[in-house]
Amino acid sequence: MPFKRAPQVFSAAIRELTLGTGGKAIAVGGENVLPLYAFDGPLKNPPRVGIELSDRGPDLSLPELAAFYAGADSPAEQARRAAAAPGADFLSLYLESSDPTGADAPVEESVAFCLEIAAAVDLPLVIQGSGHAEKDAKLFEKAAEALQGKNALIMSAKEENYKGVSVAAVTAYGQKIAAESSVDINLAKQLNVLITQLGISGDKMAMNLGVSAAGYGFEYIASTIDRVRLAALSQNDAALQMPVVTPVAREAWGVKEAIVSEEDIPEWGPRERRGINMEVCTAAALIAAGSDAVILRHPRSVRVVADLIANIL
Amino acid sequence: MRLLFDRIFQGADEMLALAEQALAAAVAEIGESAPVNMPNTAYFLANHSAYLKKNIRTIGDLNAAFPEVKRWHQREQRLENVFNTGFATFMAAEVIEACKYAVSADPYNGEYHGHLSDAEVRELGVPLVTGDIPGFVVIIGPAPSDEEAAELIKGYQSRAIFVFLIGGVIDQAKRMGVATGFPVRVVAVGPDIWQTAHIISFVNRAAMIFGAVTPGDREGFDHYTFHRIRAFVNAFDPVADIVAACGAGAIAMGFPVVTNDEKDMWPVPKSLIIQPASEDFIETSLEARDIRIKITKIDIPVAYSTAFEGEIVRRHDMQLDIDGSRVDCCELVTTKQPHEIEDHEITLIGPDFEEFEQGSRVCLCYVAEVAGKTMQADFEPVFERRIHDFVNRAEGVMHTGQRDNLRIRVSKDAFAAGFRARHIGEILYAAIKSDYESVVDKCAIKIYTRPEDCREIRALAQAVYEKRDERLAALTDESVDVFYDCILCQSFSPAHVCVVTPERLGLCGAVSWLDAKAANELDPNGACHKVTKERVVDEHLGIWEDVNETVKEASHGNLEQVTLYSIMVDPMTSCGCFECICGIEPLSNGVVIVHREHTGMTPLGMTFSEMASMTGGGVQTPGFMGHGKQFISSRKFMRGEGGPARIVWMPKALKEMVSAKLNAAAKELYGLEDFSALIADESVTEDVETLMEYLAEKEHPVLGMEPLM
Repeated sequence: MPFKRAPQVFSAAIRELTLGTGGKAIAVGGENVLPLYAFDGPLKNPPRVGIELSDRGPDLSLPELAAFYAGADSPAEQARRAAAAPGADFLSLYLESSDPTGADAPVEESVAFCLEIAAAVDLPLVIQGSGHAEKDAKLFEKAAEALQGKNALIMSAKEENYKGVSVAAVTAYGQKIAAESSVDINLAKQLNVLITQLGISGDKMAMNLGVSAAGYGFEYIASTIDRVRLAALSQNDAALQMPVVTPVAREAWGVKEAIVSEEDIPEWGPRERRGINMEVCTAAALIAAGSDAVILRHPRSVRVVADLIANIL
Repeated sequence: MRLLFDRIFQGADEMLALAEQALAAAVAEIGESAPVNMPNTAYFLANHSAYLKKNIRTIGDLNAAFPEVKRWHQREQRLENVFNTGFATFMAAEVIEACKYAVSADPYNGEYHGHLSDAEVRELGVPLVTGDIPGFVVIIGPAPSDEEAAELIKGYQSRAIFVFLIGGVIDQAKRMGVATGFPVRVVAVGPDIWQTAHIISFVNRAAMIFGAVTPGDREGFDHYTFHRIRAFVNAFDPVADIVAACGAGAIAMGFPVVTNDEKDMWPVPKSLIIQPASEDFIETSLEARDIRIKITKIDIPVAYSTAFEGEIVRRHDMQLDIDGSRVDCCELVTTKQPHEIEDHEITLIGPDFEEFEQGSRVCLCYVAEVAGKTMQADFEPVFERRIHDFVNRAEGVMHTGQRDNLRIRVSKDAFAAGFRARHIGEILYAAIKSDYESVVDKCAIKIYTRPEDCREIRALAQAVYEKRDERLAALTDESVDVFYDCILCQSFSPAHVCVVTPERLGLCGAVSWLDAKAANELDPNGACHKVTKERVVDEHLGIWEDVNETVKEASHGNLEQVTLYSIMVDPMTSCGCFECICGIEPLSNGVVIVHREHTGMTPLGMTFSEMASMTGGGVQTPGFMGHGKQFISSRKFMRGEGGPARIVWMPKALKEMVSAKLNAAAKELYGLEDFSALIADESVTEDVETLMEYLAEKEHPVLGMEPLM
């Protein structure tokens, strides 16, 4: 029996989100086929890869990472280095120090960090908070104000703080917003609906559906993204057609495989290698599930995942 | 007596004359080509821009636009003209202020705030849009006394309302040491009524920034200010004509004006409100503008948290025993008209806790009176059932039961910490207001502790309970226009969706049709949504096209069709948290029902958990179905297969729970007396042969019914 090609191109499509300005601006999402199904129809944009920089600086105990950032002592220097990493489409600033249960850096300090970097690089910016809803709300409002005109993605608005965060970020200061929910299609949809009811249009939004590192309950997030994508494409569910942006780095670098030292478990080999592997396989699987962008920390991971995407498509 | 029309037109004339003078003076002093720049704004003169679609850059532009401003002031006594005259007044006021800023960059020298920058618009706009600042007030006046001015300002501050001050009230605030400034949310705008132009400019810029309203789109501005900007005006006696003219503009924007000036003043419902008692301005204003204040803390002397829900107060730790089984106690939620109650009024009628001996048994009734435009009597029982959770969350307070068989124990520790009868009221007030903020505008609590009062209130409450039960009994699937779906369980059972109808409650037993209705009204984006039932396919089996579409969408394509009244044809799915499962027993052509608490065997050769594995997870398994206990006695239970007459076996405990209602249903459906006696249980048998013998001996109706398969 001859093989008959039956391309599955949907009449619905994922919205396209633009980030950044000028020559380095990128578009995320826009596809009307299943993830990576470029054989069914052209992908409007390839999955994007971002590189993450923490306001605490890179982890210099990792030799390769330390070498990559060697001599870059200021945040601006480090950001320039990160932005030049092969494969990086955007730069994600992780404002880790702002966490009130941690260093509790004042908002002005975090905003100054963002401004220093915004002045140094022209890659699109993503602003990640500590995840503390209350502090993030204050921080994002000020960061969005300071970064007016940069078309940055504020990551993220959650159920607890979505009103203030999304109105400030998008309506008042013209940035983009990611809606963060916790591995649940209905919660994701509900939050998107609530945010759009504030008068924010869907093409200014992304979704962060949650993340877990490969082997750490990854099936849940994979099936959630799957279901979100199918609802968006096959059922034309407009409330779920926002592109998915997943911050992989902080999960991948937070699991045992990326933390335990080589001295403790010599047979596992160097820690840095393990962290990169964790980051790469989580990101690859997420992209296969439907994530339109991933955020990674290690420049090697960035290059590997970017190469993978380039070679698949 | 002067007509309001005349006063407003006269006031507008005054403002326009002042504007004309200011313009002429500015032309003479700095010339037509002098720039007009409000500091730190990209919206030119926002009021001119909003209403005239003109970008004013110079004194000449302002001069050229002035005839058009004047044309907005028309004198026909029609409402529309009054509104236009109000806007003309605002634009004239803006002319006066713009001339001032054209002559001097900082005309107020820090003494008054004057113009608001775009940054301030954005900063204030965000919490206004999100509701963190519930609204703003413009206070015009001097108040009758300095003390009253300070009290009013502080009253608004304590409710997180942003305050703008115009006129003599500013000096009053200063004399009373009230701090002003943008950060403390009290802004002294300026000494004269024309400085309202800055507030209107703020509002119009907010509409352009946050509402994307385009200049010149008069309807767009009106709609945005009415629906999104929760502002209102407090104007103190005497209200001059020029203030009345500004008031007309405010009302046109949807901002009610509350005043204590009764002379030549004509009340307009919801718009121009005369409140002679100026100490009541706050409450009157908030009600007029539909502003609800968020409750952030509960004012009680003990800790309050869900962590204390399971806490038990034992006899020897007990200060008081409020025991509905022995004395008259009850709890009741009742709907009132907004004017009948005062928000947060907690009234104790009778002795307080310290007047009872330690360890004594006392009677106590409490009535929560609620009011709100979208409040419905159907929500009363929904709120009422939550009282158990609300009261239980207080540390050292135990609540069990409901309605008039409740029991509350207050521990010695809670009593020693100061817990008194009033605090039950504080808890109810705060919990009802915050959990049901979308429907409850006002809530007042009455607490009764005298036996004679309690007897009376209990009798009243019983009549209400009875009426509610009648209403519930009268609710049928046919008598309502919509059903509700419930996807609360999808976080762990993604393919499942419940369709909740008056006669078929959710399979968890926790969501009745009224609950789902209330949930939907309270949070339309939550777990429950309306399902229409207009396109019937088969009413007998319970198939509607609308229901199927909903099920398909809500299950994200996993389910195509469900019947609401059959277990053989496309039965409704289950998440896993069903109260009961019924499964067909093939030999008798009947069904066996088992509830979650029953751990023993059933005649099917399967236990509850084994049967559960057949039907959970959103899978349709004809012949097996999860459901709530209440559904067993429903007229719609298995209607497609002949109804409850199919039931051949139930655990004894379950039978006891449902027998009264089930017998009533069987009587109505089949004319059978005492039907539950025909149903076998574990004391009769757990195997199918003995079951058949029992059914034959009892002449169970199932033996005469059509085969199920």
